[in-house]
Amino acid sequence: MISESISTVTGVQSLQYLYPLIVLGIAGFIILGLGLATSSKKAYAGIAFGALAIAAILILLIPQNASFVLSNSFAYSQFGAYFAILFVISSLFIVLPSLKNISAKGDIFYALLLFVTTGMIVAAFTMNLIVLFISFEAVSIGTYVLAAFHKTRRTLEASTKYFFTGVVSTSFIIFGLAFFYQAAGTFELTSALAVVSKPALLIALLFLTIGFGFKVAIFPMHQWAIDTYYGAENSVSAFLSTGSKLVAFMIMLKIFIVGFSTMGEDVFLLFTLLAIFTMTYGNISALSTTNVKKLFAYSSIAQAGYLILVFSITSYALWSGQNYGLIAVNAVAAAMLYSLVYIFMKGGAFVFLNTLDKENPEFSDISGFARKSPALALSLSIILLALAGIPFTGGFTAKFYMFLYLVDAKLWWLAIIAILNSAISVFYYFRVIMYMYWKPDSGVSLSGSRIASATVIVSAIVVVALFFYFPLFSLLHGFAQGLFGVTG
Amino acid sequence: MITELETWGIFLSPMIASPIALLAGRKSRNASGIIASASIGLSLVLSYLVYLKVSSGSQIESQYTWFYNINYGIFVDHLAIVMLLMVTFVSLMIHLFALYYMGGDPNRHAYFAETALFTSGMLGLVESSNLLEFFMFWELVGLCSYLLIGFWFFKPNAVSAAKKAFIVTRVGDLLFLIGLAVIYTSLSPIASDPLSISFIVNNAAQLPSLIGQYNLTIISLLFLGGAIGKSSQFPLHVWIPDAMEGPTTVSALIHAATMVTAGIYLVARVYPLFYEAYPISLYAVLFIGSFTALFAGTIGIVVNDIKRILAYSTISQLGYMLAALGLGSMFGSDVISYSMYHLVVHAFFKALLFMSAGAILLALMDLRDVRQMGGLWRRMPYTVTLLFIGSITLAAVPFTSAYFSKDTIIGLSYTFYQSSGTLLMAIPWIFLQLGALATVLYTFRMFFLVALGKPRSHLASEAKDPKKIVLIPLGILAALSLVYGIFQGSFYSFVISGASVPAIPDMTEMLSIAFLVIGVIVTYVLYAGDRFTKINAEKVPGYKMLTNKYYLDKLFTNALAQGAILPLSSAFAGMESSYNEGVERFGGSFLKAGKVLRRLQSGVVENYFLLIIISAALVFILLEIVGGV
Repeated sequence: MISESISTVTGVQSLQYLYPLIVLGIAGFIILGLGLATSSKKAYAGIAFGALAIAAILILLIPQNASFVLSNSFAYSQFGAYFAILFVISSLFIVLPSLKNISAKGDIFYALLLFVTTGMIVAAFTMNLIVLFISFEAVSIGTYVLAAFHKTRRTLEASTKYFFTGVVSTSFIIFGLAFFYQAAGTFELTSALAVVSKPALLIALLFLTIGFGFKVAIFPMHQWAIDTYYGAENSVSAFLSTGSKLVAFMIMLKIFIVGFSTMGEDVFLLFTLLAIFTMTYGNISALSTTNVKKLFAYSSIAQAGYLILVFSITSYALWSGQNYGLIAVNAVAAAMLYSLVYIFMKGGAFVFLNTLDKENPEFSDISGFARKSPALALSLSIILLALAGIPFTGGFTAKFYMFLYLVDAKLWWLAIIAILNSAISVFYYFRVIMYMYWKPDSGVSLSGSRIASATVIVSAIVVVALFFYFPLFSLLHGFAQGLFGVTG
Repeated sequence: MITELETWGIFLSPMIASPIALLAGRKSRNASGIIASASIGLSLVLSYLVYLKVSSGSQIESQYTWFYNINYGIFVDHLAIVMLLMVTFVSLMIHLFALYYMGGDPNRHAYFAETALFTSGMLGLVESSNLLEFFMFWELVGLCSYLLIGFWFFKPNAVSAAKKAFIVTRVGDLLFLIGLAVIYTSLSPIASDPLSISFIVNNAAQLPSLIGQYNLTIISLLFLGGAIGKSSQFPLHVWIPDAMEGPTTVSALIHAATMVTAGIYLVARVYPLFYEAYPISLYAVLFIGSFTALFAGTIGIVVNDIKRILAYSTISQLGYMLAALGLGSMFGSDVISYSMYHLVVHAFFKALLFMSAGAILLALMDLRDVRQMGGLWRRMPYTVTLLFIGSITLAAVPFTSAYFSKDTIIGLSYTFYQSSGTLLMAIPWIFLQLGALATVLYTFRMFFLVALGKPRSHLASEAKDPKKIVLIPLGILAALSLVYGIFQGSFYSFVISGASVPAIPDMTEMLSIAFLVIGVIVTYVLYAGDRFTKINAEKVPGYKMLTNKYYLDKLFTNALAQGAILPLSSAFAGMESSYNEGVERFGGSFLKAGKVLRRLQSGVVENYFLLIIISAALVFILLEIVGGV
């Protein structure tokens, strides 16, 4: 563990840490104001895209050393900056593809997207539970509305279910926070280190897991996700299953690795159980589905199972008294890599559905797709192979590191379960590929959305490029120390 | 960010050019050949720049973390730069000739894309800084050779030859891979990058204390297995003669310059592993090499297909290179330079021989039987003169370059026997010395049959020289074959500093020249005219065994493949099908489980909450019982 001194930034200097937030917020209000004057979707989308791109650059320009800002409510680190960039990417990802299906009130859609992204960036840059909670709510409330766009009966149902479960999860979080405060006496995750384990902390652990696990779609908190991903507009589904899921995942990284750093055994048992159930449930349910979007939704749950393996690694290292520092940093770096690849895999898969001229296609609708559009079929195949973890894709690298550090922490049995699960998943991913390449033509035509096609192709290229960008992991290894660096 | 860009460029240039050539070939078939040749020309220029850098400094190394503790990168020392220059130069010559040779082929864009990729694989292999990276390029080279041998895929022979080459070299690759695993596990507790080549090269003396002689012996023998497969040494040599089904320029590229030398290069590259192991490793290298040198040479005497004669000669010459490396127990690492010198010289004259044979075959409509040629010197003077220069070099006629490179090796083997004193150690020398006789016999038999006498077929009487301009690359190679001998001393000391030209015992010198004279006289008498047609070869003792290639092909296909492997594989197939059935049932049960699980997904939100509350309660109880609090 590195123990560099963390500077505290005060006064007007704090402002430079807030520039990305300011830019996004102002751009959001500009779009809202523009909504009174014009109804050109393209103008909104253009402003949103520009603002997000500028925000990404501004995040990169923030001073690189770890620091506390605004009386410790902001804790800047490279770990946070990395995730902030990921969130901006996941928003950028859907700005243009969503143009196709957002028919009315585009100003509200894009303004909300920017506000949600603002919330995400705040979450990335704080280690205070209250700020985390508020930013998380900002994300949630924004996405409830986003899920309702493209009004059909299905999207309304999706949005309603999402809203109800979201509210329930919020109440769990509030309860959890209360118990955490009762046990730790502080909302600062960084100073919760000295807390000894108490029964109240166990309740907090469970409740916070339920609350945030909703958004990550961990079994048994996953069921809304199937209905909502299935019902919402394709690009919104992409956003819910990438950006919004990763926010919750990042918050969990902060809480359960930094905040609960004294109860290795409980965290280990809980998350190992959840990871096994989530992976297995997602993969097995996906086996028998015949709807492409539902398949992506189930696979998204299975992927959440792989993601939370990181908690098993860190907590087991803590519990068994192994070389915690090294293993934990490695595991977190693996999770960060997984998150990056995940955005392009899952985002690309959901956006792919926009290239079809049919809502919610069944397998039979994409059969023979390779003959209609070889480039798109190849791109989707690459993305699916990446989701299955086949070599020469970033998906392989991500799974490889995660499983490698499972073995490194002597959790080889868990690694075997995860690998078996990957093997199961190959079956249903290949089924899609088989339908595209070896089945007769279905007659469903392309939607001709060039933006969606380009997005899918670009994500496939990125997914492959991430495999070949070998120095990436050592870079992430440095960033991952930010999570621990702030703990001093 | 990336340093040593020009060194990276050496193998990246053809690698990038390969798909471009393929795509450009859709528009214009001719463009692809020019693109591929230009990319290799660029590699040659870059290699020369790197040569200037390396010859003044010592080593170039540029490494990045690939994953875990495996790095990737480039490592160029004097040994590697010699290979780089040779491969780029010879490959460029062959590409230029192929512009003419493949000029009429409808799929030539694919040909040039494949040869560029092949050359890139070979160059990448030479400059790899890591054994795993080395292995990947090694496999890439193997894959390309499969594609190129089967390039005329409409010929069933070509397809089966390609398969044979792929499968036989696979045996060697497997051994190499196991060797990699052993060296990885034995070095990973010690070295931060256990598969680094520079670690092996620069820490040669510490190796026995680091990983033990026993492990070193195992590793080096497994690596030798890989080298035997790739460099087609006994008993894995059977694929090369069949590989002659590919275009002749491919034979020149694969069997002269590049692929087959990869095995020799592997042994030279990780030479400390062999040197520091128990002596058995070097003896294995020596005996396999010298045996192959004689063994393949004798088969070459009775083969009638001109390309196959050259193929057996390649196997035999590779045997000399390997045998030279095996002499290291007495001469130290100097033997690397002796072996590499013969490798480079061989690349020159063998590429020359293959390409002039290719030019002849083009004129003869691919009639490959030497018995039906004859009298071509008068009809194709330029081409056959080039063939003549290649032949005298191959036969090591005094003052051609092979005279210096090969007689050095034979002389060393004699010195080796003299100083060790045991009769057993005379065997390599005897093999190598007799191999020289075999070389003279098959070379001049081939040459006289092709060049002298009267044309023995209609095609041969009509043959004409190709345009002179296409023979320029051959001329360059011919000039090098003749005069490269003058660089012997400087070459030796460049590859291994301190290596010098060893004294050659008079004994071997005399024998070599005597064999040369005898061989030329015998073959001239028999083959310069029509006299050979009057001999009934079937009655000559040993002829049958030779034409059947010592029954090794039969042993592999009949006894091993049909007798042992087929029953075994059908037994496996039986197991596999019952296993498949099991998997299917197993998978089917998963599908059913999936249907049950999806019933949970009722769409009613209240039920969702119920599930959560129940699960949360169960988990809470569980944690209370077994948890830490």
